Amino acid sequence: MRLLFSLYAKRSGGLLLALLLACLTLAAGVALFGVSGWFLTGAALATSAMTFNLFGPSAMVRGFSFLRIVARYGERLAGHSTTFKILSDIRVRIFSRLIPLVPLRAAAHRTGDFVARLTADVETLDMMFLQVVAPIATAILGALGLGLFLWIVLPDSVPVALIGFGLTTLFLPGLIVLAGRRSGAATVRTAAELRSAVLDGIDGHADLVALGAVDGARRSVDEAAAAVRTARLRQGRRIAFGPAFVVLGTGATAIATLYVGLSVLEAGRVSGPVLVGALLAVMAIFEVSGPILRGAGRLGAASAAARRVQSLVDMQPAVVDPARPVAVPGAGDIVFEKVGFTHGRDQTILTGLDLTLHAGERIAVIGESGAGKSTLLGLLLRLVDVDSGCIRIGGVDIRAVRQADLHAHVALLSQDAPVFIGTIRDNLRIADPAADDAALFAVLEKARLDGFVRRLPLGLDTWLGESGETLSAGQARRLCLARTLLSPAKVLLLDEPTAGLDRPTEAEFLADLLAVTTGRTLVLATHAALPDGAVDRVYRLEDGALTLEG
Amino acid sequence: MNTVEPATGAKPARTNPVMMKWLKARGRVGRRAMGLAIVVPLVSACLTVAQAYLLATILHRAIVDQAPTASQATAVLGLAGLVALRALLAWIGEAAGIRAAEDIKQAIRKDLFAALMRRGPDWMRQRASGELASQILDQVEALDGYFSRFVPAMIAAAVVPVAIAIGLMPVDLVVGLLLLVTAPLIPLFMALAGWGAEAASRQHLTALSRLSGMFADRLRGLLVLKLFGRAEDEIVRVRGASDEFATRTLAVLRIAFLSSAVLEFFAALGVAGVALYVGLTYIGLLDLRGAELGLQAGLFCLLMAPEVYMPLRTLAAHYHDRASAKAAVTNLAAAFGSLPAVDEAIATPGVPWAPRGAIAVTARHLTVDTPDRGAIFADAMLDIEASDSVALLGPSGIGKSTLIEVLARLRGHQGRVELGGVALADIDEAALRRHVAALGQRSRLFHGTIASNIRLGRVDATDAELRAAAERACVLDFADRLPEGLDTPIGERGRGLSGGEAQRVALARIFLRDPALVLLDEPTAYLDRETEARVMRAVLDFAAGRTLLIATHSMAVAQLMNRICEIDGQRRIVSRVVAPTSLVMQGVA
Repeated sequence: MRLLFSLYAKRSGGLLLALLLACLTLAAGVALFGVSGWFLTGAALATSAMTFNLFGPSAMVRGFSFLRIVARYGERLAGHSTTFKILSDIRVRIFSRLIPLVPLRAAAHRTGDFVARLTADVETLDMMFLQVVAPIATAILGALGLGLFLWIVLPDSVPVALIGFGLTTLFLPGLIVLAGRRSGAATVRTAAELRSAVLDGIDGHADLVALGAVDGARRSVDEAAAAVRTARLRQGRRIAFGPAFVVLGTGATAIATLYVGLSVLEAGRVSGPVLVGALLAVMAIFEVSGPILRGAGRLGAASAAARRVQSLVDMQPAVVDPARPVAVPGAGDIVFEKVGFTHGRDQTILTGLDLTLHAGERIAVIGESGAGKSTLLGLLLRLVDVDSGCIRIGGVDIRAVRQADLHAHVALLSQDAPVFIGTIRDNLRIADPAADDAALFAVLEKARLDGFVRRLPLGLDTWLGESGETLSAGQARRLCLARTLLSPAKVLLLDEPTAGLDRPTEAEFLADLLAVTTGRTLVLATHAALPDGAVDRVYRLEDGALTLEG
Repeated sequence: MNTVEPATGAKPARTNPVMMKWLKARGRVGRRAMGLAIVVPLVSACLTVAQAYLLATILHRAIVDQAPTASQATAVLGLAGLVALRALLAWIGEAAGIRAAEDIKQAIRKDLFAALMRRGPDWMRQRASGELASQILDQVEALDGYFSRFVPAMIAAAVVPVAIAIGLMPVDLVVGLLLLVTAPLIPLFMALAGWGAEAASRQHLTALSRLSGMFADRLRGLLVLKLFGRAEDEIVRVRGASDEFATRTLAVLRIAFLSSAVLEFFAALGVAGVALYVGLTYIGLLDLRGAELGLQAGLFCLLMAPEVYMPLRTLAAHYHDRASAKAAVTNLAAAFGSLPAVDEAIATPGVPWAPRGAIAVTARHLTVDTPDRGAIFADAMLDIEASDSVALLGPSGIGKSTLIEVLARLRGHQGRVELGGVALADIDEAALRRHVAALGQRSRLFHGTIASNIRLGRVDATDAELRAAAERACVLDFADRLPEGLDTPIGERGRGLSGGEAQRVALARIFLRDPALVLLDEPTAYLDRETEARVMRAVLDFAAGRTLLIATHSMAVAQLMNRICEIDGQRRIVSRVVAPTSLVMQGVA
């Protein structure tokens, strides 16, 4: 919630305007209904047109109608326009906070749906003001206004009206949120079970088919779906109390106010028209309870989202820049010295790994998947820091230089390199914003993708991603490869660069490595069969250390 | 990088009428609860009328007749009773709506998953599992509000305003007419408000989902941006994109919000119009009715005026539920290629097949093409005699696993494959699975225990049989070291098994079965030599009297077979008698 408060503080002007207009809308509605009742009753009691002041009330009725329409329109516009500004602020804030934090190491952040969840959380926070904060604030201010008004015209009814209003719009929705939270846990749990049952069926589909066990998987998904239904129905029965309480609260408050009012009328301390006006005003103010109830339903999800985002924003980066950084030596050997790395608490990946790589050399690292090839590459970029030993470039420990300088010196093609939404040109220029088309086509040629791009009607300006051209896995891989090759970095780290390429193209690319890397230092982590002379040396990574092959 | 849409960008997929029809057809599942959810608001509206009438009566008697408060106690109690009844109805209506939505969602999920399971493995291979699971969970969940709230609100909005207007006519013809004159207009304004609200929510959702898509895209690739030193620039882009979407959406909303202003206009007009008309009638400035109008009738009309527009307001508040449901159906249709029919027929059974003993395998003109790896087999042939044992060698990626998948009918192919003289394509699914056992390279372990995973091989296996199978597959080597033994939970929330351990669990499944043909893909990968030798002894034991094909990298395994096959550079399957040693070198990695 701290995050939201600081964001709201920044946009307080717009938010206050929206809130003011929301209050005005409510006040106009209440006044319109109240004045109408007062005027109508007064007219009914009037003995002749001469003794009745017609113009005041009828002007007020028209005025409040007009005010209500205008204020409603303004409120929606002001609220949304400020919400959009906050929506932009939230994204920028989170994005800039995450830059020093990536790659996130906690297991919860490595799953594919982490980004999806974060995006959904941010979306939930976007609407927090309009759906939750504004209705509640309006109700509180509305209660104050109502109290003041009744205190003047019908003081005896102030306690019942305010208690009824407070219970209906603030206390009962809060109670429903609390009740929903407990049954909400069961809903979340059953949904997670359904998800894993579905995933079992999809991921294990081939096994299930081969075992003839598809029906069993279907049964377990059916059972999980039924459990979700049961949990949600239990929650639904509580949620259903919301609208019922609104009806009950509104009605009970009106009846109590009426009953108090009738005895005051009988005592002659209030006139008939004023009583009707006050009663109708009390009834009208309950229109805020609908949005509050809808907002209250979202409060649980919204505060959970806020907590998750806040904890992310509060994280400390695992890898930090030195206080007094030194420059990366322009050229020099890369030396891994007795490097040890343990993943998590007990999964040892590298133990005492030694490697010396002279400038301009090309080496390949092979080994089982999971042997630590990608980790080895990541260590050179300080995506994570070594647990023991050190890595030097030209004699300088990489922990002594700025990360940005190190990243400019060493370029990586990771296994999961993404294609961004944008044009092909945009995607390539990430590596070098100044590159001209000739340079772009040169790297596309090296990645064996130039023919494809030339055949596209829009060429380099072809839009990729959502609502654009989609690339096959192989084409996407080659685009990312081209991007890495475009980087001016002196050292290239390619992690499975030929994954997704068909075999002849793969062989062609590997045979051509010398030309592709143009004299730069190269570390290749691969499963592919390497043609003779493609690299200077081949190492096998096994049991946390490197051994020379062949 | 640009953030604006492509100049030629396609519009987001529109929902076609077929999809909405599908949605309506699905709604029949929850018919009874849905009916209740629809009827309750209508009954409740009648009670609202009674409540207003009673309130007007009480006020009239107190103000005009000056009746003592005590004499009104019964009427006030009646009012309280009406309120209580309406509250009860509100609970019933809401709960019924939720129930209908849950019934429908459960049925849809069941059908979607069943449809998914009927798809071939080829189709499944090309999809991301997380994405499909999210369709079944999250997209189906997005249908919730449509059934639980939107449909009842829509019907109430169509019926209640007209009914109230007609109901008011006996009380005061002018007020009734005033509202009835707007009644033909109500559908128009409903459409107007609906279009406005829908356009607003659609624009809003589209813009937001675009923005979220871009945001997620940049977050996903944040590491790459950071490594290329571009992350800081991207902040500006994120800001630019958000601002641009905001400006664009707001321009649309400016018009769309007019719909709420229209609603507000009519609601205010209703109240103000009734108040002025009744007031002017009272003081004699207006005389459109013959008879005297009492305070009771006037108050009743005033109290009813806002109720006419109430259902429209409720509908507008739930309009986004419809847009979300439409978007979800579009997503489902896109992800699944088509929406599962409401009553889909069970697949027709194939040729019954009951081979006795081992079976021969033949393949002629076998051709397999994959979209991402090109041709794997081109006009290949294969002959395996019954009871033969064959090793399939070759570097990884050459197509060994593909051949195993083709023979197990887990992958599409061209050409003719016969098992025991019967065309593979014609064999009945259940019979095929009973007589052909296949072990994939990376078998999936399911949530449950080691024992429950092995039991997938044969559901009715006894504990003793299960343990024997586990022993033969060397599962007990590691399982007996665990405190819970074979009952150790595995899967996402349990203990993780290593690749070699998982492979042995999957092998134990096969040992529970009685197949005529055994297809094993690298059963001993990740195993040390000693365990490999023990596992292979068990496999050979088991394979006696059955036909066996093993894809492997291990020469030690290959030499245990009668015959060795290899896939050559021409993408054909060739027999070889002596394996060159270089093969072992190439085969690793």
